[in-house]
Amino acid sequence: MPWGAQAYSDASKKVTEAYVPEGKNLKAAWQGIQWNNFYQTFASAIASKTGPAVSTGGGFQAYQFAEQGAIAMADDVVATMKTNGMFDDLLPGVLEGFKTKDGYVALPWQTDMRVYWYRKSLLEKAGVAVPTDWPSLLEAGKALKKIGVIGFCTGSGAGNFLGNHWAVSMLINNGGGVWTPEGDIDVVNDRNQEAVEFMLEMVSAGAIDPGAVGFTTDNMDAQWKNSKTGYGMFGAYLPQRVGDTSGDIVAAPPLTGPNGDKTALQFVNNIMMYKNTPDQASSEAFVIYYLQQLKGYWQQALVGGLPVFKSITELPEFTKDPNAVQIVKDYSPIAKTFAARGTASTANTAVLDGGQALNKFAQSILTGKTDAKTILNDFATGLKAAVK
Amino acid sequence: MSAVLKSPTANQIRAREDRGRWWRFLLVLVITVVTLVPIGVVALLSLLPSSTSTTTGVTFENFTKVFRDTLATTWISNSLITTGVTVLVSVAVAAPAGYVLSRGRSRVVSSYSLLLFVLQSLPIITSVVPLFILFANFGLADSLTGLTIVYVAATMAVATWMMAAYFDSIPVSLEEAAWIDGLSVFGSFLRVVLRNSLPGVLSTAIFAFLLSWNDYLVALVFLRSDVKFTLPIGVQSFFQQNATDWGSVMALAVVMMLPPVIVFVGLNKYFSVGGIGGSLAGR
Amino acid sequence: MTTLTGGLSRARRGISPGGHGGARRRTSTLKAQTRRTFLGMLVPSVVLLILINGYPLVYAAVQATHDGSLIDAGSFVGLDNFSTVLASGAFWRAARFTLIFTLVGVFGSWAVGLAFALLLRTRIPGRGIFKVLLLLPWVVPIVVSSTAWNWLVATADSPVPRIFEALGLGSPLFLADPKLAAVLVCVFKVWVSFPFMMMMSAGALAAVDDTLYEAASIDGASSWQQFTQITLPLIARPTYISWILMTVFCVNDFPTIYLLTTGGPVDATTSLVVYAYRSVFQDFQTGPGVAVAFLMTLTLVVVSVILYRQIRRAHVE
Repeated sequence: MPWGAQAYSDASKKVTEAYVPEGKNLKAAWQGIQWNNFYQTFASAIASKTGPAVSTGGGFQAYQFAEQGAIAMADDVVATMKTNGMFDDLLPGVLEGFKTKDGYVALPWQTDMRVYWYRKSLLEKAGVAVPTDWPSLLEAGKALKKIGVIGFCTGSGAGNFLGNHWAVSMLINNGGGVWTPEGDIDVVNDRNQEAVEFMLEMVSAGAIDPGAVGFTTDNMDAQWKNSKTGYGMFGAYLPQRVGDTSGDIVAAPPLTGPNGDKTALQFVNNIMMYKNTPDQASSEAFVIYYLQQLKGYWQQALVGGLPVFKSITELPEFTKDPNAVQIVKDYSPIAKTFAARGTASTANTAVLDGGQALNKFAQSILTGKTDAKTILNDFATGLKAAVK
Repeated sequence: MSAVLKSPTANQIRAREDRGRWWRFLLVLVITVVTLVPIGVVALLSLLPSSTSTTTGVTFENFTKVFRDTLATTWISNSLITTGVTVLVSVAVAAPAGYVLSRGRSRVVSSYSLLLFVLQSLPIITSVVPLFILFANFGLADSLTGLTIVYVAATMAVATWMMAAYFDSIPVSLEEAAWIDGLSVFGSFLRVVLRNSLPGVLSTAIFAFLLSWNDYLVALVFLRSDVKFTLPIGVQSFFQQNATDWGSVMALAVVMMLPPVIVFVGLNKYFSVGGIGGSLAGR
Repeated sequence: MTTLTGGLSRARRGISPGGHGGARRRTSTLKAQTRRTFLGMLVPSVVLLILINGYPLVYAAVQATHDGSLIDAGSFVGLDNFSTVLASGAFWRAARFTLIFTLVGVFGSWAVGLAFALLLRTRIPGRGIFKVLLLLPWVVPIVVSSTAWNWLVATADSPVPRIFEALGLGSPLFLADPKLAAVLVCVFKVWVSFPFMMMMSAGALAAVDDTLYEAASIDGASSWQQFTQITLPLIARPTYISWILMTVFCVNDFPTIYLLTTGGPVDATTSLVVYAYRSVFQDFQTGPGVAVAFLMTLTLVVVSVILYRQIRRAHVE
């Protein structure tokens, strides 16, 4: 899948084709697929038995396909990783989420962190400090708005999920979330209501642009690039993404919620094995090989996520970017996933991530025309209809 | 307007028209320019350097990049082949069927015409996955042949009607004469009716052309290997997770626009012939 | 049901080779031969139709009555999916938007297209060039033109909101306001579709005899009277056909809406096909999603049947 520009796909193909299997194991062929409609592509491939033996996957597809009996569990790979030191090299919190009652559905290869960023010159111009908690976030938003830029940059236009991510991250940041620790829906509660009310206040105070609900990621890129916003949430490597590495765009610290919770939100991108394989042992050998080659992606700066292995975060090519180092130090240890307040995801997490309910939830907040209670009730109803 | 008319009233109308034509020209010009603003935006964006580029001002680097770094030329030829075959096969299948619909008047023929309509009303998004699974059984997944078959089928209903509508306007006396000369039903269709139906055939061909040239929903599911991509899927490949290489998208889009424009310019004189209108169906 | 197709498919002169004119004098063997030939001429299209259009329909019928996923068939649940869908508010909101979108799409693009066709029928310098240029909105891939539209309207700094501001009309956020987003999607659809209607109308107008207008002018009929009393009745049949086709295109139109707004904000531009797509591929509710597609198809067929009747009437007149 295109996790980066063409150079990433080329590198990924090269890595796969350079694989020399040991013993009786089979060789591997590489296949890239389109980002758009990836679920449709994978589902039709699996259903027609023309699917891959091993793939990276978007969203939470590993959990879904596992529930539908198409995934080969990765427990043997984890066991091998324990013997060759790769297991101990993993950063905290990247593997646990894949452990389901049937076994490990997938293995992590990068994390997509939601990071708060600020533009130093604009915060200085507005005369506010870098936000560390919710009141200072609101204050900074208002101050930035006063100098004519967007106080908090987010969006939920066509194909843009950053608004969804921010909304969930705020629930989690207040000790709330979408699920109980057991994985049942738990949306309408006091902590979540407090969080939604705060987000609505951000909207009504003008800290969030009234057009945000329609902003695409391209709109947001332009806002960051052209100094139209001073603060907001994005993925790692925002400066590189918008082509401004002057040092004016800086990773901000994670926020502390009103009840003292200090959290971050991450998506652990993963690599999975399918039952429809010519030889399972070959699939497993290839996955180990592939995970060992990952460092090249960061050495050549080909991907937009963070590494899952400590050894990669210690490479000189990685440590030369102070933002990346700070994010790994500040965000990684406290990062949670869409499964919060639970830890392991399920097929239901996929429904939350890709479904209509969350998008509507985020858009209702950013539109700011409905009260918190109604928004949460609608969200709960929508989720319940879709979740099995 | 007929030039032989000599009545003063007609001349007055004509004189008024001559004065009015430049005003109408101005009106049409303004409306056309406004209408084409989004197209202009595409052209403009294709000429602007990408955000990571060091170049400023207008540049052709998006075009050179697309042709140098991607399989654009392969995609163009894939698109041309798929579209060409779709056009030929659709016309070859739809023309005889349309003829039967036009000339036959049995209950079977009428119900078939309705069936055509009902079956193609199901949105493509629900049929593309079952089709893929079916085609994979025959080894037609990730194949331009499979894609072409789907396109031909997708054009079938409208193409058949279009042909039928055109045959309606061909007087049956032509065939009757041919039958008397000893031609078979099929022979007269081939040699007499079809020969007189060039505008109808062209309409159907243009319809099939646009449908297969612009489709991306079917191709997205059917095509996997980058060497098999058609142009719309090539454009899709510039969309990555949360990011898009708009410069390349727009450059390839401009390339994509050219063949349909060339086709329309080339066939411009047929536009005044009735029936060509149906050719643009398909979205 | 036979009458439906009769209007569209039967020859204007209503003659078939086996049973009229010169053929009538021939023996019944010719009739049989004709029938065989006709059947042979239909075969390729029948095979394609059953395989490519029929098979997915059956497959979809199975999906709509099961509780499975795209991969796994699941178990039979009868019409449960249909009742779930019909009981959901989201379905009816989507149905409402589909109706609005289709009405504006069909009649908006028809009005604009017909206006252009009438204008370009008169003698205008370079009208051949205009005809081709005005086709471009239809020809450009939606994935590209939607991007251009987004660029024009997305933020307060985009060109169109700036023009509104300069005119003292405020700075509208077309993609953020539910009502404006609905308007925008409809306008976009008209923009994409009017060239089709322009071509349909141009084709129909070409068949209208100019001398009728001259006679009417001499009789003192105004331009509007000429339009309503001569032009419209004469192009009624092709007009109905274009309405039917455009209705199908609008109801089934996925990319135009999805690429511009993905159905938002807050479902304001979610049509039935977008709703079906999101149910199947985003909520992974295969059964209910396909049920929506079925209900849509059913409605479409009914509406088209009614319009067919109109065609037939227009034909008879």
